[in-house]
Amino acid sequence: MRKKEERRGASQWAVAWRRFRRNKSALIGTAMVAFFILVGVLSPYIAPYPPRSYAPLYEGVAGQPPSFQHPFGVESSGIDVFSEVIHGTRNDLYVGLAAAILTMIIGIAVGAIGGYFKGLVSDVILGVTQVFFVIPALLLILLFARIFLQLVFKGLGLTLIVLILSFFGWSGTAFIVRGETLRVREMDFVQAARSLGADSVRLLFRHIVPNILSPVIVITTLIIAGFILTEVVVSFLGFGDANTTTWGLLLNEGFSYIRTDWWVALFPGLAVVFSVLGFNLMGDGLSDALNPRLRE
Amino acid sequence: MIPVFLGVAMLTFFVGNAAGSPLDLIRIFLRNPSPAVIEALRHYYHLDQPVWLRFLYWLWDLLHFNLGISTSGRAVTDQIGAWALTTLELQVISLLLAVVIGIPVGVYSALHQYSKSDYAITTFAIFGYSMPTFWLGIMLIIVFSFELGWLPSSGAAGITYNWGGNVVLDWLAHLALPVTVLTYVTLATIVRLVRANMLEVLRQDFILAARASGLSERAVTYRYALRNAITPVVTVVGLSFGAALGGAPATETVFSWPGLGFAFARAAGVLDIPLVQGITIVITIMVLLANLITDLAYAVLDPRVRIE
Repeated sequence: MRKKEERRGASQWAVAWRRFRRNKSALIGTAMVAFFILVGVLSPYIAPYPPRSYAPLYEGVAGQPPSFQHPFGVESSGIDVFSEVIHGTRNDLYVGLAAAILTMIIGIAVGAIGGYFKGLVSDVILGVTQVFFVIPALLLILLFARIFLQLVFKGLGLTLIVLILSFFGWSGTAFIVRGETLRVREMDFVQAARSLGADSVRLLFRHIVPNILSPVIVITTLIIAGFILTEVVVSFLGFGDANTTTWGLLLNEGFSYIRTDWWVALFPGLAVVFSVLGFNLMGDGLSDALNPRLRE
Repeated sequence: MIPVFLGVAMLTFFVGNAAGSPLDLIRIFLRNPSPAVIEALRHYYHLDQPVWLRFLYWLWDLLHFNLGISTSGRAVTDQIGAWALTTLELQVISLLLAVVIGIPVGVYSALHQYSKSDYAITTFAIFGYSMPTFWLGIMLIIVFSFELGWLPSSGAAGITYNWGGNVVLDWLAHLALPVTVLTYVTLATIVRLVRANMLEVLRQDFILAARASGLSERAVTYRYALRNAITPVVTVVGLSFGAALGGAPATETVFSWPGLGFAFARAAGVLDIPLVQGITIVITIMVLLANLITDLAYAVLDPRVRIE
């Protein structure tokens, strides 16, 4: 029985999982991510107050430092920081995850097409990718958010932020996918599929893309962390949607109460640090686990 | 470089255009402009022309260092210079400090892999890597400016904090917090990279060969390993500079640092489109120049790149 299993050998993913499981910091990161996702999903049920609620003001606790009833304190305007951090978790994770998935799709499509075809198409795609790679993206993201979110397409809210982030974020993924596609394209199994009559679309998406997914997974995990940080900057500067609770919006309010209510800036910031840390540790762990060069 | 510049110019122009016609802003200042005035302004802003032609006019002006007039009534180019210098002052000092501290710390961490100090350094680094720069700034302001009262919380030069009229001390006091924050974040990236590169290089055969030929451990580490581990750091320093400039709106706003980023955040807030476009263009040029310098430095450090 045991011998049979050994002969079958472990798949690439099983090997990676075994390596990942042994990496303590990767597991801590994954636990942190799981915790934040759980909080985000359950946020309507576990937050004591609805989003943007001024109820504590009428309870006479506005501007109170952290206490047993209000563990993260209350803003001078009467907003309970604990509830808001929980609601912000949901929104910030939505932005980070949705934008990262969209970025992954764009990056794979652009990179694979640019790497697979030769000639003019490939050159143009490479040029556009390079432009997007060196652009000072954060600045343009801020500009786009300020003008599109608050003037042109009012009401789209976070979804528009998702679109803007992925519009500026795909070039790194595209570069990686392009390089990997160039490498895999000439391999024997692709040639074999080609000689059996597979067309370009089938070759690309059935044979090439599934074989280059591991670096894409690593960078996408790290991109989630980066997007959360970017979203925080956008809302902190007041360029986001002022009616949607995000960690950045709370930091914006915390900054205006900086002299009196230190807790308004402290706790949302800690939420940002630990969620981003979680995704970064997870990404590093995945990178080590999936890297064939480090395989013993 | 030129396609990137054109790309950014196009994006900033068309986005700025989506914000509305400059005439709408003029109407705020001139209550009841006569049709003749409107017609003259329409002509001045080329609003009687198609959009793509307007873009070419704008680009032409740009190439002649004419970035238009901001809503404050002053030419954008007159305002930007001083801000650019203050921003550069902050960024360059922080970057230099990060490099000077980051490389030895990263080497030390790699040479003592899995020791207690290595764990401390990597933890310290990954936190810096995961932290919003401006938030660390807010925290430091709360502690050092408001609770302890040691350092000024805003600006680049003092009004109340004069340090007995000592200009240098005043300058350093205002730099202390923003430089600490920016250095820490860049430092984190550099330490992680130097450590990873050193570990990879130290495993290679030529290091074994160098050791086997009887070289001292010191020579192996610094002359052989570090030389090879350090080249990719140059790229990251260039990229970090770009990232820090892009993040300047948030960090400079926290410290009310009178630079391009703070100005950008204020101008975008009140929709001063010519100013916003101008700052975006200037920061783009600074980032592109930094990339160019990075590439040149890379060629100097790595002879293999030079042939191409």
